Amino acid sequence: MKSLTRIISLAIVGLFVAAVVTSPYAQAQAVLTDEQKEQIVTNCQSIKTIMNQLHISDALLRVNRGQLYESIATKLMDRFNGRLSSNNINTDAFSTITSSYRQVLTKFRSDYVLYEKQLSKALSIDCQKQPSEFNTAVESARTLRKTVHSDVTALNGSITSYQSTIDNFLESYQQATSGVGQ
Amino acid sequence: MDEIEQVDEQLSFWAQHRFLVLIGLTIVISLVLVAVGLVIYNVSGAAQLDLSRPDYKSVSSQVVDDVDIIDDYSSTGAINTVTITQFKELFDEQATSASAIDAFGGDPLDPEVLEYGQGDNQ
Repeated sequence: MKSLTRIISLAIVGLFVAAVVTSPYAQAQAVLTDEQKEQIVTNCQSIKTIMNQLHISDALLRVNRGQLYESIATKLMDRFNGRLSSNNINTDAFSTITSSYRQVLTKFRSDYVLYEKQLSKALSIDCQKQPSEFNTAVESARTLRKTVHSDVTALNGSITSYQSTIDNFLESYQQATSGVGQ
Repeated sequence: MDEIEQVDEQLSFWAQHRFLVLIGLTIVISLVLVAVGLVIYNVSGAAQLDLSRPDYKSVSSQVVDDVDIIDDYSSTGAINTVTITQFKELFDEQATSASAIDAFGGDPLDPEVLEYGQGDNQ
């Protein structure tokens, strides 16, 4: 009975500690000068307006870009790889790039979700009453947005690699077929 | 006889209230399924893509639909110079679209841009 009471007590203390540690107030906060705090409080509405516009435009950008990247993977890369395979042509180079592209695409989707949630969280903070917390949330969103941008850069890099591989393949194919024709 | 009367009472109690139990269970199951649906909606990332939300009403009509034009290339068929060139043209066109915009570039969340002071203040 004593050990059970002890276990329950420890569990309650542990939950309390976990709640405090994960509390937003326990997170490290960016250092703000008094002048910056004053500016946040004064310009709170205009800051929120800018961030709302960004939130909306990024959502549209995410949908349009996401459609494009997904279409490139499913309607172009996969189909071309499939056609090559059905003609018994080695697709290793294409498949490697396609696989890497899909991994980055998955990461792009999940990173955007994290960024959007953080941005929404920042927008929900009252910047007049909690300027420091607001700044911390904005800085986190800023970092996450940069991560999303790096994913986009990686996706564009994979697309460029695939283009190069197509060019090399076409050149090799033309050389091989012109050699056969001679 | 007492036993039979007790069983009769139980049956008649449930018989009297089975419609209410049915309604209650239906409502509870519906609420559970709605809760599950909402959790999936948020966890799966669909919430971020749902431009029908009130917040995104102003841009919902600006979604690009013309990616459907790249339905022309089949995953089966011959491989020759013509088909490879055809694919290359399709791919280059989409690659140009992808690189035309530096998506999520810039730094719009820079405190300087948001009008509250110097950036990189950590």
